Amino acid sequence: MDRNQISKWLKNPGKMANKYSFHVVYFCTGCGVIEIPPSITTRWDAERFGIIPVASPRQANLFLIAGYVSTKTLKAIIRTYEQMPEPKYTIAFGSCPINGGMYYDSYNTITSLDKYIPIDGYIAGCMPRPEAVFVGVTHLWKLIDMDKADGYKRYREDYKHYRANQEQLFGDMDWPPLFSKENIK
Amino acid sequence: MNELKKKFESIFNNITVNVVEDNRIVVNIKKDEVLTFLSYLKNLGYEHLSLVSCVDWINKSEFELIYILSSYMAKDEEYQEKEKTKIIVKTRIPRKEARFITVINVFENAEPYERELHEMFGIYFEGHPRLTPLLLERDYEIPPFRKDFDMQNYVDNTYGKIPSIKERKKEQNERT
Repeated sequence: MDRNQISKWLKNPGKMANKYSFHVVYFCTGCGVIEIPPSITTRWDAERFGIIPVASPRQANLFLIAGYVSTKTLKAIIRTYEQMPEPKYTIAFGSCPINGGMYYDSYNTITSLDKYIPIDGYIAGCMPRPEAVFVGVTHLWKLIDMDKADGYKRYREDYKHYRANQEQLFGDMDWPPLFSKENIK
Repeated sequence: MNELKKKFESIFNNITVNVVEDNRIVVNIKKDEVLTFLSYLKNLGYEHLSLVSCVDWINKSEFELIYILSSYMAKDEEYQEKEKTKIIVKTRIPRKEARFITVINVFENAEPYERELHEMFGIYFEGHPRLTPLLLERDYEIPPFRKDFDMQNYVDNTYGKIPSIKERKKEQNERT
């Protein structure tokens, strides 16, 4: 453990523990899935950074969306994101979730993901190398230190708008809202 | 290969056979004879339907349906020649009333391919047990794989019209 960080640990141990043990649920839709196995196995061993893949979103606190998002998989993404316990962070991996990438005129691929769920950080590239995951995660550490990785807070505050966007895309949604009116602060 | 070509041309009328490569034959056939030709090929040993595909020839206002057949590797020596070859059967149907007969009675695995073609090109296959949506979730006025489907226009009208969260907030502030 770094000595300079002892004061931080004593000040806010929960946040520090949270920050150095990312339990990641990967959402692999497209070509992004190819970069994930080398990054979590021995070549680029992601556990050096405390990143470990988990099976269930109930145990995860980092959501890594790798690849393009179609309207059908967006439903699964929203449901997965809503199942994760707070605090939770989201990273969009690759250029497709940012603005559609090479699928900018596709009939079934949504063009910008941050209209439907909040995104804490983007990793640009098509596709980014596994090193980019670690650069992204170390940036996310800084953001957490500065309390700027507030995606889950924004989701709670602006849930009305996010839900309105989701309903505009899907028409009828077959699950109830995550936050009722009483819960929205 | 030329033996096969002669065989086909002697049995079926209105048929053009081209040997494209060493192991690939393209057969153009009229749409009434497709079922009989496919069942004939199945009896001949081409038991595997690899793909049912479609091409939209918008200038000629026709759809071209493509069936690709190959045969499994068999133990018999006479099959050794056959398993190397692929037979591509092509037929044309009019684009306005896109209707065709299913080939499920001959090849059962044609079902998902035909469902996909129904979804993407809007071709109705008579006698198909369930032409329900397979891949897509939304309804499209024009099926998305047709050439006259304007992709950029569609994207601008659906995904482009959904406002970002900032814009939503601005709207709300202006109202209140």
